[in-house]
Amino acid sequence: MSLSGSQTPSDGELVLRARRGDERAFGLLVEKYRRGAYAVAYAVTGRQEDAEDAAQESFLVALQRLEECRSPERFAGWLMTIVRNRSRNLVRRESLRETDPVPVSASTRLPTPDLDMERSELQAALRDALGALSDVQREIVLLHDLEGWKHREIGDRLSLPSGTVRSHLHFARRALREALTGQETVEERRRSSP
Amino acid sequence: MSRTWTTPGGSDDEEARDLGLASALDFLDPASRDPGFWMRFQARVLQGAGPELARRRLMADLTVGDVLTGWARALVPTAMLAAAVAALILIRMAPAAPPATLEDLLTAGIETLTIPEALDESAAAASVAFAAERF
Repeated sequence: MSLSGSQTPSDGELVLRARRGDERAFGLLVEKYRRGAYAVAYAVTGRQEDAEDAAQESFLVALQRLEECRSPERFAGWLMTIVRNRSRNLVRRESLRETDPVPVSASTRLPTPDLDMERSELQAALRDALGALSDVQREIVLLHDLEGWKHREIGDRLSLPSGTVRSHLHFARRALREALTGQETVEERRRSSP
Repeated sequence: MSRTWTTPGGSDDEEARDLGLASALDFLDPASRDPGFWMRFQARVLQGAGPELARRRLMADLTVGDVLTGWARALVPTAMLAAAVAALILIRMAPAAPPATLEDLLTAGIETLTIPEALDESAAAASVAFAAERF
């Protein structure tokens, strides 16, 4: 099947083509999973720069080890494992370099000049709430609500039962909603005060 | 400002995306501040992957004959060189052969009396024994 056809090739086919050095096939895999890889890396590292580095490195490592992907149809799950491991290694290296590890919430909290205070505070509240979640909860809520992955896809790709995905998602959403609601209450109080 | 953190359908359906939450989390998407982010990301990954992809293309193009030729190209000269070195060593280590007559060569390794020894006059007494031993 030609990659130029209207039908999207399966992951299995793309992996087999990438193993033979097909740049286009590998490019399609990167395009398909770059956002998910970034989300998983961010869930672990909590820093956008680190997430970017870890996600990029993971694609290169995945290419080098493509023969180790025993089920090419399940490439995404295999890739996400690499992303998670690379991200954890990165965090470990960073924490060895810095005596005081930077928590997720504080790492990128500096106010962005082009955003108004309200948005900055909302984002800070969300980061705090995300930072309070476990890695897997962060991964799930980001993959589901930010990247639009379905429960089944998340379960397959993170090797988790669907019920566990739902449970983690429920907990994570509740925590994030509470953070957002709390932030709104603060804002409303500020507005109503003279 | 008031948000309802539910899905568009109004129910808290876990399978559907929470669009309110998705919108709030959108700032985590690097493309929200830098629209070219994902294009650059893709380009950087593909640039980094270039040598590995080229290596894989090369390996995929190789036939069995190419592999054997590649092996032979390295193996044959090495084997010839090793054989030459071994031959040189053997020649150097071999002891100089003592001058030998034809008779010495024919009787080499025979411990009992041979016909010329038995017929020798000084060994005549042993001729019976020789005959007994031989016949």
